Amino acid sequence: MNQLVRERRLLNTWILRTSIGACLLLIMVGLAMFFLHGVRLPEPPRGSLWEILRQAIRRGVRLHSDAFLDVAIVVLLLTPMARLLAGVYVSARARDWLYAGIGLLVLALVVSGVIAGQFGI
Amino acid sequence: MSVTLIVAVILMGGLAGGVVGSLTGLGGGFVIVPLLTLVFHIPISEAVGVSLLGIIATSTGSAPRFVGTGLSNMRAALFLQIAASSGALAGAMVAHHLPARLLFAVFGIVLGYSAIMAFMPQHSDFAGARYSSPLAKRLRLASSYKFGGERIDYQVVGVIPGFGIMIGAGFLSALLGIGSGAFKVLAMDRVMKLPFRVSTATSNFMIGVTAATSAGFYLSHGDVQPVTAGAVILGMITGGYVGSHLVKSLPVAIMRKVFAAVILLVALQMLLKGVFNL
Repeated sequence: MNQLVRERRLLNTWILRTSIGACLLLIMVGLAMFFLHGVRLPEPPRGSLWEILRQAIRRGVRLHSDAFLDVAIVVLLLTPMARLLAGVYVSARARDWLYAGIGLLVLALVVSGVIAGQFGI
Repeated sequence: MSVTLIVAVILMGGLAGGVVGSLTGLGGGFVIVPLLTLVFHIPISEAVGVSLLGIIATSTGSAPRFVGTGLSNMRAALFLQIAASSGALAGAMVAHHLPARLLFAVFGIVLGYSAIMAFMPQHSDFAGARYSSPLAKRLRLASSYKFGGERIDYQVVGVIPGFGIMIGAGFLSALLGIGSGAFKVLAMDRVMKLPFRVSTATSNFMIGVTAATSAGFYLSHGDVQPVTAGAVILGMITGGYVGSHLVKSLPVAIMRKVFAAVILLVALQMLLKGVFNL
């Protein structure tokens, strides 16, 4: 059990440090580029996370500031989901099926937020 | 004012929001939404979307403090998160069909309540409940944490009322772009009798997941302006970090009351905008 607790702690620390580091770096690059070249605010992204990332990568090639900011936002949004997934994984390893199931249910609710917004419900 | 200057001011606003939110314990959302709507006249749905991302950022930024301390009760967090995320999903859907003036009025009331609560004495019960309710036993919510080298066991009661409050907390979070931390701690600390330290640590995890549920809705709906969001996120993370260090060296009890009084005035302004469109 101690091994699982340690595993959960390592996973969470890795997720938090990686995501916050990547997010801050992307935002600083995006804002620096906006302050250098920006004359007007870009259009807000919309659609599925996959679509937002696809569009961002396309604009990122042309070094548009909003591409970096869009990716940072998606990374930030995925962080709590990654923590939930890590919790589900550790619960499943401990054969705690009740909390693995509850974790999956919460994850489904978070994902359904993105889907509902995409279809303007 | 040029666009770059506006973004620079929003960045400074995010910074101030992070510092004030951290010092008052109210969270940055209570500062960011009034700043974006009252000062920059950004539509409230966009301000809420941006604020929710700022909340995920501050929750993520402060989470490493709690990882590995054993303070977070992950079972309670996951179970109550079903309620908070359901409420958040409903709140995000409803928010897009409500008139902006109603949102301003509700924001004013909730902000006023939270500011008044900041004047109340801090509650800190180390032991928590002495017995667990049957549902809490079935869900294995009782746990323990270490404090001053001593292991403290605690029990949990009031699971159903706590679950109900979490639905409301999630709903308000999505509707107004706030973390609803005060309501989450209220449910866990006062109703479920979790020890105060455990409530705070558990609430930090829940705030991020609740905000992610509704922020996903606002983002995919096209309500998040990336430059504004970037400035707010960067400002709030930096401000939250600065605030957490200022807490150690400043007379926080007095400052908390001063900021709470200022926030009470902001609440009044939001309420007036909602009721009289001033």
